[in-house]
Amino acid sequence: MNPEKYRKDFPLLVRGFEGKPVVYFDNACVTLKPRQVIEAMNRYYEEFPACHGRSYHKLGMKVTEEYEKARETLKKFVGAKRSGEIIFLRNTTEAINLVANSIGLKKGDVVLTSDKEHNSNLVPWLFLEKKAGIKHEVVKTGEEGILEPEALQEAINRKVKLVSLVHTSNLDGTTFPIKELAAVCRDHGIPILVDGAQSVPHKEVKVDRLGVDFLAFSGHKMLGPSGIGCLYGRYELLERMEPFLTGGDTVEDTTYTSCRLSKPPEKFEAGLQNYAGAIGLAEAARYVERVGRENIEKHEVKLNRLITEGISGIAEILGPGPEKRGGIVSFTVPGIHPHDISAFMDMHNIFIRSGAHCVHSWFNARGLEGSARASLYLYNTKEEAEKFVEVLKKTVETFG
Amino acid sequence: MYSEKVMDHFRNPRNQGKLEDADGVGTAGNPICGDVMRFYIKVRNGKIIKTGWETFGCAAAIATSSALSEMITGKSLEEARKVTREAIAEYLGGLPPIKKHCTSLALEALKKAIKNYEEAGK
Repeated sequence: MNPEKYRKDFPLLVRGFEGKPVVYFDNACVTLKPRQVIEAMNRYYEEFPACHGRSYHKLGMKVTEEYEKARETLKKFVGAKRSGEIIFLRNTTEAINLVANSIGLKKGDVVLTSDKEHNSNLVPWLFLEKKAGIKHEVVKTGEEGILEPEALQEAINRKVKLVSLVHTSNLDGTTFPIKELAAVCRDHGIPILVDGAQSVPHKEVKVDRLGVDFLAFSGHKMLGPSGIGCLYGRYELLERMEPFLTGGDTVEDTTYTSCRLSKPPEKFEAGLQNYAGAIGLAEAARYVERVGRENIEKHEVKLNRLITEGISGIAEILGPGPEKRGGIVSFTVPGIHPHDISAFMDMHNIFIRSGAHCVHSWFNARGLEGSARASLYLYNTKEEAEKFVEVLKKTVETFG
Repeated sequence: MYSEKVMDHFRNPRNQGKLEDADGVGTAGNPICGDVMRFYIKVRNGKIIKTGWETFGCAAAIATSSALSEMITGKSLEEARKVTREAIAEYLGGLPPIKKHCTSLALEALKKAIKNYEEAGK
């Protein structure tokens, strides 16, 4: 895969920031947007900025058509059976909150997660413990930072009503064996929710092949706009669930004292939707498919290997070897605060992340203050990786 | 890169540490970057005669704490209150834009320490 072929599509890579070229290595947080995505969104705003589903005029029809086309694109993107299994919402966080609040958890029910969850797959459960009296239990990851199916198997008991796991960790880039973990859940008849925020943009993730019941992911991490994401849910489960938010478009009919709910996905999409976002996300999915997620993954591992070899003498990298960390290099340098590393990188227009990456629980349990993290995507180049290594070496010299 | 003065204050921090006989203590934290600063002041006749600080954070946060402690020692409470973010950055020979927030944190901790002293005296 040649990233140069794609870089011309990204205005920020062409123009730079304030006229200076940038090395953008914060893709696990937000990716850049290609002009195709921006143009697709602008088309909505310029040509048919109306409402879907309920306005019987040409503009309304056009929005309905484009919005449902977007849903169809996302359906194929994740390998869902029917487009009604794709719910548009704001992001992964909202998707997890939807399942948490709608799947009907009751007092005494147990939800299992791992010890490497982003706050988005931790805090909703902590609140449900208080609000609904559920119990949240954390299953520990094993060697190489992944959750072993055996460990999950051991943690399951009759009270477990949901398993909610990260697919690829934003902390160190490791990927859980979700297919095997989902098989354990299926054996026990327990639904599994997967946080795909870091996996869906970077590797071939298909719900039918993985056998998962729910998959949550965000647009802003896969070349799409912010404020739009998806929840895939198995239709039979969605049918049984109550809506998380209620109001316009979640119902077929109302009287002053009652309402009749719509079918999925409408049941879960309350109020006027982010049409430009959904259209932009579908365009992003098409872009990612054109490049090919297998190619993206290979490309990232190649750059990751280069960075890992370049910095392993001076930095301590979290997790196993680069082959198992996709596009993420999370590291610490003894004696240098992670925020100083990112500040030095910033002075060279290399944008990385530092801190706890919203996984405070993991760092706190180990008494660590955080890490610096470089995260890659399809437009990053070998030259950028080399520059990163060079600047990190300079940083160490400055502080040494 | 950080200025020479920033690196100097980071490597040789002035007045660092807890002040056991402090008259006022103030803590400020930034929940986003996770940095925490605590300022201690000892006051005689309206003047800060001694300062101390504890900072958990990056080099810029440490240098900022160190610089501010130097700037206010020997000054009246009124003068200490008037120190600005820009003055600290200038004292340090400049700070990168993304580190300017460290100066706010230090000033917040100092102002809380002064308030703590004044309220204790009432």
